[in-house]
Amino acid sequence: MRIASVAGTLEPCSSYNFSTPVLLQTLKQRYPDLSMRSVVVAGIGKTSFGALVDRDLRSLAVEAGHKCLENAHVLPTQVEAFYLGNFAGPSFVGQNHLAPYVAGAMEITGVPATRFEAACASSGAAFFHAVMAVAAGIHDVILVVGVEKMTSQPTPKVAEILARAGDSTGEVRAGATFPALFAMIARRHMYQYGTTREMLAAVAVKNHANGARNPQAHMRKVITMEQALAGKPIADPLTVYDCSLVSDGAAAVLVTTAERAEEFTSKPIRVLGISQISDHVALEAKSDITRFDAVATAARKAYTMAGLEPQHIDLAEVHDCFTIAEIIATEDLGFVEKGGGGRFVLDGKTALTGALPVNTSGGLKAKGHPVGATGVGQICDLVIQMRGEAGDRQVERARTGLAQNLGGSGATAVVSILGVQ
Amino acid sequence: MLAGGVIYTETLVHSAPEQFVAEAPYQLVIVTLDATGAKVTGRMNPPDRVVIGDHVDFDHDRNGTPYFRRSAV
Repeated sequence: MRIASVAGTLEPCSSYNFSTPVLLQTLKQRYPDLSMRSVVVAGIGKTSFGALVDRDLRSLAVEAGHKCLENAHVLPTQVEAFYLGNFAGPSFVGQNHLAPYVAGAMEITGVPATRFEAACASSGAAFFHAVMAVAAGIHDVILVVGVEKMTSQPTPKVAEILARAGDSTGEVRAGATFPALFAMIARRHMYQYGTTREMLAAVAVKNHANGARNPQAHMRKVITMEQALAGKPIADPLTVYDCSLVSDGAAAVLVTTAERAEEFTSKPIRVLGISQISDHVALEAKSDITRFDAVATAARKAYTMAGLEPQHIDLAEVHDCFTIAEIIATEDLGFVEKGGGGRFVLDGKTALTGALPVNTSGGLKAKGHPVGATGVGQICDLVIQMRGEAGDRQVERARTGLAQNLGGSGATAVVSILGVQ
Repeated sequence: MLAGGVIYTETLVHSAPEQFVAEAPYQLVIVTLDATGAKVTGRMNPPDRVVIGDHVDFDHDRNGTPYFRRSAV
């Protein structure tokens, strides 16, 4: 353990910094005992995302976990903690106690194995806590897996289970689904900023074009603007093409220190900044639903920790659970001014060849959205680009990447900034 | 008891969760209440339909959900 003493350091660990000399200096002045470590992602593993009818939750999680350990050249016996991101395994497949249930099947036992639930940000939260535990010196090697098995239930049942991420005593009782909540967000954004149906559709067209280049994407199909606009209505103004997919899948990352990573891999990707922030669950409790305050706050903290500004980000994976969510994310993350997110995507700024490629993986829209796997999946997608392994969706410049994972209608936000060492 | 308010946002829900499939399509609304400025989520009383900025009045409560009707002009 690099920390001087447990008693003296547990409390100060509420603040972290992994790389920035200025911040590190400031924090050390405040907490003389605090010793923080550089954290890296040393391995990644993903299953394909899709309607994987013959696969169960555990086999998906185990596949991603094994691929990740293999990718990092780490043995199951070297894993010091196992963090699982999963939203609704108990509801979707009737299994609780999921972390040791998955870890045991990977021959990982005798370590802390814990499930994190934060709606669609479940594995983003698991990743955040893994990074903190490694930075603080509590563990050296943590395997983080995200998984969801959704397609075993009919669509109305899936909608009902997903709605449990909303406020069950208010909006959900009134008949809100998640498409309905984001439809109301879209209506308000259109009203306040003149955002159009074409701008929403532009997100879907772009992400489908990117997903078509991703061999692990759920839907590898290019769509046209006309198709996107003529989709079956789900909750006005959102059509089926504005909604992410109901998918099965799993993703995993290995989190360790920069120092330990040298044993495992020649391609570690540094965690430069990370933050997880909460907000009210109910949409009606937010003063302005055209922005997600939790995302803006998490972004500000992550940028500060990394010593970077929005213009330093080369590419981003953002939480496009609905097309409007990607537009708002680009605003909340500071890539474009408030209200300008629709024009930003319509003008091609976020395309694969644009100034700031967003969701080069295809995003939740085309890659798929197995909700508990999404946060870690985004980290994998950034790492693939930053290692230069993205094939025909590879972007030219991928030295600094940002991932934004959203839970519910903004009650949890995780923003992570990664950098090539 | 709720009184009237202004539509802050709305959506017509076509694809409903399991327990409300028989009622779709229905209009879900968030209303900014005149009295307090607080926002509350509810439904429009069919066949009334509204857009942002319309004024509505509380109509009735069903299972804890407020139903609104369009205010008379």
